Amino acid sequence: MPWLHWGVIAIVLPLAGAMSCFLWPRRAIPLGLVTALGIVACVAGLGWQLVEQGAQRYVVGGWGAPLGIDLYADGLSLLMLMATAAVGLGVSIYSIGYFNREKARYFWPLWMFLWAALNALFLSADIFNLYVTLELLGLAAVALVALAGGAEALTGAMRYLLVSLLGSLFYLLGVALLYHSSGSVDIAILAARVESSPAVWAAVGLISAGLLLKTALFPLHFWLPSTHASAPAPVSALLSALVVKASFYILLRLWLEIFPPTSAVLGQLLALLGAAAVLWGGLQALRQTRLKMLIAYSTVAQLGYLFLAFPLASITGWTGALYMLLSHAVAKTAIFMAVGNILYFGGHDRIADLDRVVQRLPLTVTAFALAGASIMGLPPSGGFIAKWLLLEAAIRSGQWWWGGILILGGLLSAAWVFKVVGYAFTRSRAPHESRAVPVGMEWSALAMSMVAILLGLFASWPLALMEIGLPFGGKGAE
Amino acid sequence: MNTTLSAILLLSVPGYPLLLAFPALRSRSPWPCHIALLPAVILLAVPAAFSVDLPWLLFGSGLAVGERSRWLLAMAVVLWAAAATLLRAPANQPESNHLTTFFLLTLAGSLGAILATDLVGFFTFSTLMGYGFYGLLVNGGEMAAQRAGRVYLALLILADLALFEALLIVAAVTDDLSFGAAHQAVAPSASLNLYLSMVLIGFALKAGIWPLHFWLLPAFRSARPAAALLLGGVPIATGLLGAVRWLPLGEISSPGLGLALQWLGVGAMLHAIVAGRMQGQLKMLPAYAAIFATGLFITALGAGLADSAAGSRYGDLAHLFIVSLGFGLAVLTVGIGWLAARSPDAIAPAKRAGDPAPWFERWPGAAVRWGAQMGSDTLPRLRGSWLAAAGRLWQIRAWQSALDGGERSLQRWAFAITLLLLLGVAVAFIGALS
Amino acid sequence: MSWDTGMPLLVLASSLLPGLVIFFLPEERVVTRTTLNLAGATLKLALVGVMIWGVLYGHHYETRLPILPGLDLVLRADPLSILFVALSSILWLVTTVYAIGYLEGSPNRSRFFGFFSLCVTATVGVALAGNLITFLLFYELLTLVTYPLIVHRGTEVARRAGRTYLFYTIAGGTLLLLGTVWLYTLAGSLDFTARGFLSGLDGAHHTALVIIFVLLIGGLGVKAALIPLHGWLPQAMVAPAPVSALLHAVAVVKAGAFGIMRVVYDVYGIQFAATLGVTLPLAIVAAVTIIYGSMRALFQDDLKRRLAFSTVSQVAYIVLGIAIVGPVATIGGLVHLVHQGVMKITLFFCAGNLAETLGIHKVSEMNGVGRRMPWTMAAFTIGTFGMIGAPPLAGFISKWYLGVGALDGGQGWVVFILAGSSLLNAGYFLPILYAAWFKAPPDSWPAERSFGRRETAWALLAPPVVTALLTLAAGLLASAPFSPLQWAHFITTLEYAL
Repeated sequence: MPWLHWGVIAIVLPLAGAMSCFLWPRRAIPLGLVTALGIVACVAGLGWQLVEQGAQRYVVGGWGAPLGIDLYADGLSLLMLMATAAVGLGVSIYSIGYFNREKARYFWPLWMFLWAALNALFLSADIFNLYVTLELLGLAAVALVALAGGAEALTGAMRYLLVSLLGSLFYLLGVALLYHSSGSVDIAILAARVESSPAVWAAVGLISAGLLLKTALFPLHFWLPSTHASAPAPVSALLSALVVKASFYILLRLWLEIFPPTSAVLGQLLALLGAAAVLWGGLQALRQTRLKMLIAYSTVAQLGYLFLAFPLASITGWTGALYMLLSHAVAKTAIFMAVGNILYFGGHDRIADLDRVVQRLPLTVTAFALAGASIMGLPPSGGFIAKWLLLEAAIRSGQWWWGGILILGGLLSAAWVFKVVGYAFTRSRAPHESRAVPVGMEWSALAMSMVAILLGLFASWPLALMEIGLPFGGKGAE
Repeated sequence: MNTTLSAILLLSVPGYPLLLAFPALRSRSPWPCHIALLPAVILLAVPAAFSVDLPWLLFGSGLAVGERSRWLLAMAVVLWAAAATLLRAPANQPESNHLTTFFLLTLAGSLGAILATDLVGFFTFSTLMGYGFYGLLVNGGEMAAQRAGRVYLALLILADLALFEALLIVAAVTDDLSFGAAHQAVAPSASLNLYLSMVLIGFALKAGIWPLHFWLLPAFRSARPAAALLLGGVPIATGLLGAVRWLPLGEISSPGLGLALQWLGVGAMLHAIVAGRMQGQLKMLPAYAAIFATGLFITALGAGLADSAAGSRYGDLAHLFIVSLGFGLAVLTVGIGWLAARSPDAIAPAKRAGDPAPWFERWPGAAVRWGAQMGSDTLPRLRGSWLAAAGRLWQIRAWQSALDGGERSLQRWAFAITLLLLLGVAVAFIGALS
Repeated sequence: MSWDTGMPLLVLASSLLPGLVIFFLPEERVVTRTTLNLAGATLKLALVGVMIWGVLYGHHYETRLPILPGLDLVLRADPLSILFVALSSILWLVTTVYAIGYLEGSPNRSRFFGFFSLCVTATVGVALAGNLITFLLFYELLTLVTYPLIVHRGTEVARRAGRTYLFYTIAGGTLLLLGTVWLYTLAGSLDFTARGFLSGLDGAHHTALVIIFVLLIGGLGVKAALIPLHGWLPQAMVAPAPVSALLHAVAVVKAGAFGIMRVVYDVYGIQFAATLGVTLPLAIVAAVTIIYGSMRALFQDDLKRRLAFSTVSQVAYIVLGIAIVGPVATIGGLVHLVHQGVMKITLFFCAGNLAETLGIHKVSEMNGVGRRMPWTMAAFTIGTFGMIGAPPLAGFISKWYLGVGALDGGQGWVVFILAGSSLLNAGYFLPILYAAWFKAPPDSWPAERSFGRRETAWALLAPPVVTALLTLAAGLLASAPFSPLQWAHFITTLEYAL
């Protein structure tokens, strides 16, 4: 089977890259870049494969389920892989200029390792494998957070580690219960066998709780702002854009495939928490005086949007939420890159003291504004498409109040985006020194934000890709 | 005479003065005010009657010269020539440029109004004439002249509004706005009385017909000699001409309105005699003569409106009346002026200059001052209070501490783990129930 | 891609590409920047001319790009879009010349002209939009690219004005989005169709349609400065004069009014809107705006703020013309779109000249300025008389049609509104003229810049004179072929199926 190369290579290549970056730290940068490009090519190949032949399942080592490990790729996994590839390439280019030699020798192996974990997670076809990759992901992320050094970073990393372990633990308990009640960990098999019973419901509860903690849904979001704010800029980008989305992906997959047909109430509960996240995160973001904290709270708010699709239970709703995921990933990366540039430039990220950054770093501010437009949901941007789809789904299903939350969230985001942009035009109260930002950093920020805008103009292609293999055609769909 | 030539000639009668009104274009020509009359003189010299149609202009208009307009044109040319000569009498040097411009603009408007063949064309030219005449009155004059000008302007604007309303009524029933077609279209219409009233009010204001003659006396009092000369022939004559042209005399018969007009006209004549006698200033004699004459005109107009047969038979005489009115007033003014130059004590001293402004000037001025004091923001006090309230709300410790406190409590481990477990239980419970 | 499909994109590109290039030009490259600007503007004008020619000969210019499942991005040249595109292109060229002169020597010109070009691109996109979602896209884009122009100077006042502007326009955009999505779920299509595409919907939806109408008009009314959504306009006067001229005559305000036109004529259809009963409230809102705007203008001493409130009042004329059901009123509204743009831009150009050359910002400082700057004040006079509605200028033509349309449509009360508004217009414009021409000048002007024997720079003088002449021509030659009035007649015959 020819396709196996793509999926497996997508997991093996970053592992190999991590090894080689570890072994040859002096050549870490070119090795990292080559690996990144290679992964992008793999994902492209996999995408081509899926378009030609539909959803694919690969049996590792020839041992099929229920004993062996399967890899499964459909439209949903492809979307997540594409998001990872896009963000990953951008972050790789950005990090060339960001880290000094000391930090870079640790950054590149860890980053490749993280990427491998992500790819493996998105291709996993059984829930235990998902646990393994989730743990790997968490460990790599914690290490990256600690990379900045210093007390604040270490404290943040420690907290993140504890949270991560707690979440994974709950998830593992749920997996155990499911295995006990159904006899298999493979998703496809579970989908056929699982039925409503107390054990299953306990498992559902545990799994959801654990994953919601890792996805930082209100009110379990407490760890996210400080962790993301204390990490270096590219790491913050990765965390906000990809790592929290991984647990969301798992939750979505299980909801669509395994969880027994649920009443509207559960979906409403999730959406209610999502709505609270949107409002809480938005309000908190407005109160912040430092850019990185502001962006972190914005992530809390944007993650809330994703959960609004649960009660809508329509294909439009799911595609909207996933498009929101994709554009948020790209836009948040761009914003963190821009904030990193500003931090690099002035040595601080206080919003009121931006001191006419628009003149000195025009590309960065443009990147910020364009990415902000996507986050606000202003056309033309990916965020707008996602907002449109979610609004349409909300109005069609008659639950227009979720649409109202979307609108409110958009207005709150607009408030902070333009607050920052406005300050970018004015002088600061006290002048301070600045150092020049490497060209690669500015251009990669701008390029990511351009991708966010292009996602708004060429939306039909990703939307079509998402539906390969009818991931939403199973349980939980219209 | 071939059409192009006649078109050029007709167009240049109002057009040439308009061109010369630009200071840049007349800097080299001597005696611009006199040369501007040249096309009109040529037109008078040619005995034939012709017209030119300009469908692309405005809503389709044209210019024409016929028997009646020839007399009016002749009167206009003579009066304007005389005024131009008087204008060259010692005038204040710095203003002479502006003065000439206004003179030429008024001239263009007045000649154009005589030649106009449709309602809109006439309206345009008479508006031009009105604003130009305002400039003539006000330019370089003292307080009294400024006030007279302001009154004239205010009435001019009101008159234009009334005439615009009349135009709308006609336009609602017909597309062709030439005089004949307009008369025929509006005669059977339901808004005929409204049309008649609007036309009469508008032109009464413009021509200073009693009882809407507010601008007439101050203007006569304070105008410079050249402008005083023109008062009869230009605003008053044009106003009367407008009334004659716009009213569908001979087509309709409106006895009520006609009777009212006749009474008003008689009233005007009486007022002119009584008030004129009482005020005793020789200088103001032409003004009261004007009121008398226009009163007579209105009486005749009323008769013509009341009885359509009379209107159609004697309607032409109106033009002759206007011509003689113009000449007469001019001669009277010049005569009085000459008398004044010879024996200054025959003229009573000038009226008190410290007159309080009339009520319709005071009240709008006060209103504007009040509004300006209210501040320049949208509902300033209201919005200010809203913003202050919103600002205070945002500042209120309660909100801040609620948000902060919320975050802090969420970050305590015990709290977080409790929430986690609760969430798991909730999910399991809800799912199990469904 | 044939000519017919590519033409709308070309028209957009003719200002988008120069704009993007200008962003990267260093400040000192004045000649390059000026050339790019003028070349782009002239090219756009030429392309629009070609499009007009093509439309008259039956060409169908349309570009379609899929944007969402079931919805396309459509750029189309129909007669109504041609009206707006032609206005925008001509006025952009004139404003570019003016801006080059005005900003001579100021900092950040590359940034300014870059956003300037993007602003026109967005306006042309609004004009050429063939369905409601394309319109929404370019409408929001317009908000984004005009914001940097307002905060260009970087002062605290500018930042706050920009914040107010965003507050209003983003809220408006949200309403518009909500209305659009809802409409899409009800109607299944958003393409602009002559006489609307909603009349076939089931009667049960009528309440929803009325609410959607309110949402759409609310969203569009923010940019069109209808009461009470007009608060951003006077504050945005802090921007440089070319920005005020462009925004208030061409781009932002007209985009709002144009959007209302599209919604009433090409989404709902005027007859269907009348059956729903939404036209009378719209007319009343417009009438209140007319009177309120004129009254506030009366109280302002700052010249640009006075002109801003005058804009609020005048744009409501367009909405009034739309809201009165009847072909004549429609012609009045359509033609006033063009006429008001030309007249208002003249006034703003002159205000900018006064500020730039003599440092005059208030009406009370304008005594005797007619002697010092005769050509500017002559253009201002023509613009003023046009606004008052004196014949034979452009404003007279629009008021005529609005008045006759009101009588035709049985809404006689509108004539009183028009009369009252003309009176108020005279009340706040004529004192300016009086002060300028008849009062004695002060000993020294607040901040005079000398230009030798000329009254001001050529680039500052020519645009207002040109637009004043256009005002005169639009009025005098209204019955000539290819005048805005004739084009408005053409559009109306299509809308009413006459």
